[in-house]
Amino acid sequence: MNIIKRLLTIVLCLLLIPATAVVTAAVKQRFADGPNRFFSGGPLIAGEMHTGSEPDWSFVNDITTIELQLVDPPRSRRIWTVEHEGKLYVWSGYMGTTVGRWWKGWPPQAERDGRAVLRIDGKRYERQLVRITSGDALDGICKAITDKYPSRTTRGGVEAGDVWLFEAAPRT
Amino acid sequence: MKVFYQCIAVAVVITALAVAFVPGVDEYVEATAQGIVGSWAR
Repeated sequence: MNIIKRLLTIVLCLLLIPATAVVTAAVKQRFADGPNRFFSGGPLIAGEMHTGSEPDWSFVNDITTIELQLVDPPRSRRIWTVEHEGKLYVWSGYMGTTVGRWWKGWPPQAERDGRAVLRIDGKRYERQLVRITSGDALDGICKAITDKYPSRTTRGGVEAGDVWLFEAAPRT
Repeated sequence: MKVFYQCIAVAVVITALAVAFVPGVDEYVEATAQGIVGSWAR
């Protein structure tokens, strides 16, 4: 019994080292201007804020990832995006699994308060995230997603809540 | 065990300092964590 206890202590102590690495990296990123790839970043500070008319969002189809920051809480992450019929969309997969929901904390936050700032190619845009859960438009949006990314996003997945899809609408 | 605990404490401090200040270490940690969590989430 004593040996098992001691082995367990050793394993937990050794696990402390990678855990420290992960926590330190996450905390470090939290104080940065924007996210890196996995850990949330701080508020998006740098970059000109877009003003004026609605942009032609088709240019995002040539961009792999954008930075998304919610106003509340003011944390940012790097996500995929797609344009479809002049509208801009962002989404979160893995929402049907426990690990996914723990990992992707921003979709429920965005549903509560959709005010967001996007930074694309160094330029910031104030947007309002509006969740889409149904509708015929999902077919076209999902096709745009799967055409652009190696993604298996489907209308059924969105309707089932496995994928949380948001339109990044103009801020009103 | 006392020496072991001291070694772990030193390793934890060195790890934290390396991730915080050595360029590229945080990138490596982030990429590794992303791979592991991504596989769990599928």
